[in-house]
Amino acid sequence: MEEIAGNELAIDKREQAMLELADFDEVVRVYRPRILRFLLSSLTDRDAAESLTQECFLKAWSARHQFRGDSSLSTWLTRIAVNLMRDHLRSRCLRFWQKTRGSSLDVLDISDWVPDGRSSPESLTVARDRVAAVWRAVGSLSAQQRAVFVLRFVEEMELDEIAGTIGMNLSTVKSHLYRALAIIRERMGGAK
Amino acid sequence: MKFRRDTGAESETTREEVRAMAEALSLYRSAMRHIAEREAAHFRVVEPRPGRSIRFGMLLAPALTAAVAAAVLVPVYGHLHHHTPAPAVVVKTSQPGPANTLANVDDTVLMNQIDSELSEDVPDALRPLADLSSQTTNASAVSEKKNVTQE
Repeated sequence: MEEIAGNELAIDKREQAMLELADFDEVVRVYRPRILRFLLSSLTDRDAAESLTQECFLKAWSARHQFRGDSSLSTWLTRIAVNLMRDHLRSRCLRFWQKTRGSSLDVLDISDWVPDGRSSPESLTVARDRVAAVWRAVGSLSAQQRAVFVLRFVEEMELDEIAGTIGMNLSTVKSHLYRALAIIRERMGGAK
Repeated sequence: MKFRRDTGAESETTREEVRAMAEALSLYRSAMRHIAEREAAHFRVVEPRPGRSIRFGMLLAPALTAAVAAAVLVPVYGHLHHHTPAPAVVVKTSQPGPANTLANVDDTVLMNQIDSELSEDVPDALRPLADLSSQTTNASAVSEKKNVTQE
């Protein structure tokens, strides 16, 4: 009985995802901010994030007939974005341009946004330094570590959801997250 | 007891580190969300709706290809057909409009005029050339006679 109910629920979700995909303009409107946020957090480059966001939806549009609704639309789009991000980081040519890019987010952009509700200027400065240290540390992570870290701590996804999105085992996701946090912690310690 | 105190201090330090890190991660998340929202808003102002731009781009690519192909093929086609003789077209374009109308108005007069001009031995305009041709005919006749006598 429970199995039948579970199957019906899965079919409902699948149909819902398929219906959602039918109006692609709406899909773009709803999911673009999230995809852009993920790519911007992962790449810290405005132009690359915007370009890959466009490419993500273009790929999704091209492959929309292949989407069977096995996962949620959000997961499917995030998976495309993760693959695009990996390809982008792997590209040697782009690695060169990463060094000279003019559209990268400045660390000041990040740290300056820290809410100004602190008790003292000193604590505000400390908070800004910490955010800047996290931002710099994220830049030094590998593509896998970065994807896992951003999905967990920016997108606030559950670990099993991350595993499904990236296509990894749960234990591998935990391992990447552990290493990413160790690096960030180390960098934050250095920033003190 | 001393060992216990040290452990307590260490765990206190660790707890403080973890708390600081959690706070930093929370701030980082807020900052990234704020920046992403700002970028998304900025992007929306500059660009048209992405869904439409995707469709527009998909339509634009074949249209551009067709335009480029037309720009290349039409001159080539025109160039190839430019050298082929088309007398009817030349006659039509060379004749001004009013003449055509006159011809249509009174074809018989024109035909008679042409007949009379053709029936003349030599038209007035070619009269000097007729003299020349007569001279050359005479000269050639003389040379033929010479050749005959030499033989």
